[in-house]
Order: sequence, then C-alpha cells, then structure tokens
Amino acid sequence: MGSKIGTMGTEELEQLVITLEPRCRKRQSADRAAVIAPVAELDSLMRKLRDEHLLSFDLLLDHTAIDHIQEGRFELVYLLYSTRHGHHLMVTCDVDRANPVVPTVSEVWPIAHWQEREVFDLFGIGYDGHLDLRRVFLEDDWKGYPLRKDYTDPDMLEPA
Amino acid sequence: MGIVLDRLPGIFEPIPGGSVLITSIDAIVNWARSNSLWPLAFGTKCCAIEMLMATGAPHQDLARFGAEVARQTPRQADLMVIAGAIVKKMALRMRLLYDQMAEPRYVMATGSCAISGGPFMYYSYSIVRGADEIVPVDVYVPGCPPRPEAFFYGLMTLQKMIRQGETIRKPGIRRKPVLAALPQGITMDDLRVEQREWLQRDNTVDMAKAAAQKTWAARLEQWVPKNSNNL
Repeated sequence: MGSKIGTMGTEELEQLVITLEPRCRKRQSADRAAVIAPVAELDSLMRKLRDEHLLSFDLLLDHTAIDHIQEGRFELVYLLYSTRHGHHLMVTCDVDRANPVVPTVSEVWPIAHWQEREVFDLFGIGYDGHLDLRRVFLEDDWKGYPLRKDYTDPDMLEPA
Repeated sequence: MGIVLDRLPGIFEPIPGGSVLITSIDAIVNWARSNSLWPLAFGTKCCAIEMLMATGAPHQDLARFGAEVARQTPRQADLMVIAGAIVKKMALRMRLLYDQMAEPRYVMATGSCAISGGPFMYYSYSIVRGADEIVPVDVYVPGCPPRPEAFFYGLMTLQKMIRQGETIRKPGIRRKPVLAALPQGITMDDLRVEQREWLQRDNTVDMAKAAAQKTWAARLEQWVPKNSNNL
C-alpha cells in the first residue's frame, strides 16, 4: 500500500495520530493505516491531520458510508492521502443510525462539499455546517435514501 | 419536401397510374432517408464508447452508411441511439429529446441495459427497465456492449426497415419490432403460473398410453423368437 512507500510505516502513522488525538482508536481490520474517531473529535482531528507537518493529509480521496443495520450505526469512511509524504490513512467514524449527524469536513477539504452531498443523497447522513446540503444524483423530490439497507421501492424487482 | 410528402399522395392517388408514381416517390424518399440517418450525439453509459465513438472513428467508419453526422441538437437528428442504461432522472430528459426530434424519427436501443435494464434488472431503485418503456424503439441491438459489427447490423436492419416498411401514403406508420418489455397487465407471476401448468401437463404421464406409444417396444416381439428355449 501507499503507506509503505511513504517515509512513515503503518504502525508509526497510527501511533502519531493517536498521540495527536488520544480518544482515537486503532481500527483492527484494515489494509492500511486506519483509526476510529469519535464524532465529537472528528472536526478537530481532521484539521490536525491536514495541518500537522509530519502528516499533512492534503487530499480527501473518498468519503462514503456503510450501513451496519444490525448494530444500529452508520460507519463513515474518510480516505485520506498526503501528496507530500505519499501515505494513506483511513479514518472511520461511527454514528447513531437513528440520528445520523456529523460535523462537516468541507471546510477542511473543499472537495468534501460534493462527497458529503452524495453521502447525504444516498444514506441520509446530515452534515452539520455544510453550506448547501441538497441531493446531487437523485431528484429533489425523491423519498428515502436508497443505499440504506431498509430502503424499499415499488420499482425494485427481486428474483424469486 | 413537406409539399411532396403531405400533398402529393392526395393529388396523385385518384389519377390513373398515380399509385405507381407514388410508389416510385416512396422508393426515392426512403432511399434518401435510409442513407442519411443523422444520429443524435446522445450516450448515457459505456455503450456510447462503442456505439458512437468507436463506430464513428475511421477504423469502423460509420460514414459508409451515411450516419456519421452526429448532431448536437435533436432538431437536426433523425436517429436516436440509446447507448446505455436510462435512469429515472434521465427518462424525462430523454423523452423531451425524443419529442424534439423531427419526424420521421428512429430509435435504436443498443446493449442489455437499454433493452431490458440488463445487469440492473434486479434490486435497482433508479434504472428504467428498457428504453421502450419511454420511447418506441425500432431496432434492438443485443450485447453488453455490442460489438461495432452488431451495431452496423442493427443500422442496416433499420435501413432495410425504412426502405421496405414505409410509404408516404401513411406517414408515421412503420413495422414495429417485438417489444422487450412484458405487455401491459401481464406480470412475471402470471407467466410462472402458466409455465407451471405447462410443465405439469407435460410431466403427467399415463403409463399404459405411454407404453403403447413406444414403437420400439412393439417391435421387440419381432426380434425375440417366439419359441425360443434359450430364455
């Protein structure tokens, strides 16, 4: 992975992030450096990740969500990349499924404007502080959020 | 052209020999139409790479069929190639484009997605199951995506349809292809019930009748010697 060609190894990177933000935890199953952040610390952690000289994650590669319907939570996934150091980091964040609201990172990385709109469109995650949270792919009057596991649609065909 | 197509049939039809003349005009008009099918530059998914870009390029050379003039506006286009899946959001826009095209207009559905929804048939919340749910389709080109040769075959089929299936006597009437979507009011459940009835009927066997129908069994007697003691 990219974290190996960078100057910092996976363990070292995770350790540095946890030193910066002690309430983060290591994520166990991941193919790269990965940490789990609590919702309350998400905004400050992201700013530190971008501004800290040794990390300087200046690119938000992707942002998406996973619906863990049995456990009643959404898992938000942020894939970060540093063009200066060439290392990757995955930040995940668990949010309550009944009231999924997280702080926006669009002030940290402007590309998150679009990515958060997409996740809002398909998963219905609310982003606190987002300037223009509208649907982006589906029509404005669409009911429901299609990538949630409990979404139903009269047009969805199911093989018998 | 408008005068030729709108007025001439009414003027010539009562004259003796007039219908022969109209048939000749038909041949000329249909020849011209079939050899200048200007496609609309409209691609919704990966089939567009194959259908409009690869076939339009020099190696495949769509210009051989007079269909290389891709138009950016539906008002100048004759042929709409639906290359790719149509999502619900696109469906309204596609219908609008179709309505803006001038008569006579032709539609080709290329690829599995445009024919029936293809790989997105099940569990999809946004894909329209077949472009013929929205606009009437003249020619279907199967494939995922179809090869350029298949596309050319579809184009030649359309040209053949235009040359043989149209007349200025009845503008707008043309031979319809078979629809890919199920007819209105018939669901998959109905088909399953009917299919089960067929299967049950075919698999219900009257053993005596079946045994009697076996012609080879009847001939066994000829093969086995009647007064054989070896058995």
